[in-house]
Amino acid sequence: MLWSALLLPPPSDDTASPIEPATLQALAIWALQFTPRVALADDAVLMEVAGSVRLFGGRRALRDRVWGEGQELGVCQLAWAPNSLAALALARAGRENGLRGLHAWLDALPMTVLSAVRPHALTLAHIGCRTLGDVRALPRGGMARRFDKALLHALDQAYGLAPEVHTWVDLPETFEARLELVFRVDEASALLFGARRLLLQMCGWLAARHSGVTAFTLFWSHDVMRSREAGEGGQLTVGTAEPMRDVEHLCRLLAEHLDKVELAAPVGDLRLSPDTVHRLKESSASLLPDNAVHQGETLHLVLERLAARLGPERVLRPVLTEDHRQEWMCRWQAAPLALPRKAAPGPELPQPTFVLPLPLRLAMRGNRPIYQGELQLLAGPQRVEGGWWDRVASVSSEDAEATRYVARDYWVALSALAGVLWVFQTRLDEAPAWYLHGHFA
Amino acid sequence: MTAPTARPANAPLPGLSFPPKAVFDAQALPAAVSAALWRGDQLGSAVARVFPSGFEALDAVLPGGGWPGHSLTEILIAHSGTLEWRLLGSLLRDVCAAGRSVVLVGPPRQPHVPGLRLAGLNDKQLVWIQAETPAERLWSAEQLIKANACGALIAWLPQVRAEQIRRLQVLAAGCEAPVFVCRPASAAQESSAAPLRLLARVGLDWELLVDVFKRKGPPLEATLRLPSVPAGLQNILTPRLRLPSALLPREPVRVLIVDREAEHALVRTPVAPAERRHRIPH
Repeated sequence: MLWSALLLPPPSDDTASPIEPATLQALAIWALQFTPRVALADDAVLMEVAGSVRLFGGRRALRDRVWGEGQELGVCQLAWAPNSLAALALARAGRENGLRGLHAWLDALPMTVLSAVRPHALTLAHIGCRTLGDVRALPRGGMARRFDKALLHALDQAYGLAPEVHTWVDLPETFEARLELVFRVDEASALLFGARRLLLQMCGWLAARHSGVTAFTLFWSHDVMRSREAGEGGQLTVGTAEPMRDVEHLCRLLAEHLDKVELAAPVGDLRLSPDTVHRLKESSASLLPDNAVHQGETLHLVLERLAARLGPERVLRPVLTEDHRQEWMCRWQAAPLALPRKAAPGPELPQPTFVLPLPLRLAMRGNRPIYQGELQLLAGPQRVEGGWWDRVASVSSEDAEATRYVARDYWVALSALAGVLWVFQTRLDEAPAWYLHGHFA
Repeated sequence: MTAPTARPANAPLPGLSFPPKAVFDAQALPAAVSAALWRGDQLGSAVARVFPSGFEALDAVLPGGGWPGHSLTEILIAHSGTLEWRLLGSLLRDVCAAGRSVVLVGPPRQPHVPGLRLAGLNDKQLVWIQAETPAERLWSAEQLIKANACGALIAWLPQVRAEQIRRLQVLAAGCEAPVFVCRPASAAQESSAAPLRLLARVGLDWELLVDVFKRKGPPLEATLRLPSVPAGLQNILTPRLRLPSALLPREPVRVLIVDREAEHALVRTPVAPAERRHRIPH
């Protein structure tokens, strides 16, 4: 048995005031990612992790992770012991490791570290007890008669002589976390500090459910001292392409989105809830290193981050369409959108590799077009004609039935400076003109 | 270093050769050390993985015999968007065939996928980042290099400072894929942290003229002429079209292709005009 106690600091300087159950519950939900055996104590969360040590890479790695993330969630002391009461006692006394020589350690602790001792602390003090060792040295029969049964039982449990019974914390079906900020936040990007704490809790909940999130929403409510126009608060929904529960990635995504938000009033309160939750395929934590596994991030994570800053319409993937007019041969769509399963067949005739968005009308010298020197037509013509079926809403009102009709003769042309070009001559016009439309780059 | 009295006869750069006492036996070093070591008069060998460029003549002069991974490669082009795919096409074809992605950051024009498909690229592996401002281009390139997620990265950075290139080069050391930075030809005058720098131009007779002016090894004096027909045009070239320079109008501009000193070439008389006249088609 390997018990861990995560002690939360008292909410204020007044040590008597109890910790809010919601705070304990939030920490317990986060702890459920490590083990299903999580229980609550007065001011701490207890968990039994003997079965999870290997999964998390050994005791040292597990301890570092629990301590690192726990500190961000407000844990002030961590303790490890063979049973839960001992762990709790050690945590209250400020000692972390009680796995070896537990009895000696417990004997030296002040007696009030056990909750069951506290009701009788005054009486025990009057008969000269200071430490747990003193209490244990008293005759059992007399103790059982003078004090209640719970004291003796708790002592036995802490020293590992009697079995413990716990009420395990259940994993809630839905998740929602609230956080009251310590100080009012005026800048949206500064919300990230508080939001990170909520994200940690959410990722713990997701890990316990073996799920990932594809969209989550951060709500914020404005301070009561806000101006009247500011409204109650605001919200920001962040989506990811694939189910995901990586705190770092979600945090970076949120940071990119928060950069664009302008707060109407100072914020006093944050709330986070996942919108769509999907099952997540776990990656294998294999003993042998797998060379095929790619080191670093996957491409879609980077593209997501780029899209968050640049805008989704600027991170693009191509989709070929079946059209012979060059402008509509290919369209570009945002990268996360699904590509069609069956690709359109590409053309067999030559096509340039860079195109201009709009054909560029070329000046003429004599009867030769000029683009950085006179052009020499090499091969052609490739006649492209059609498009009468492709009606568009016309821009000018007099031409009600505008179509994207083209009638062009494409040529491969050579320019001394600009390389191999793709030019066309319009046909069926009053004045045939030459246009540059692409580069064989 | 004292002036060497007995200089090795085959040392091409006398200033860099060692006196006989200082010559050490490279064989005596461990294999990993000697692979990472190169002398100034030799062509450096590749420490990291290299990717064949598809041009034998170019592979022969590149350290390690191909485009380097884990490092930045600068390609300087006078007219941006005139030869990128012709120079890198073979590499990108291999990258796509391996199922890795090709990411383009801020290309000067819209890439045309039907043409790229003729060049052997898979359109499913292509990603276009429309970064416009220099800051956006740099940031996108940096993120992609850091993530080490793409199969090849081509970034067009027309305005970039030396310290920014250095930053990218430091990051690229952790990126397996080859990273190309396309810059204007004027950048050849500036110093740069990229270990491999090339100046590329289009030649008239279906060739690319490439100067490798910075590499791990002695600078390359000669201009490489790499035969390269744009994808898709191979099938329609008639024998007459194999030498398009003979077809061009007879203007002094034509001499531009002769060698790398284009400015000097303008004042020169055209090379062997009599011989050219015979080649003009009937």
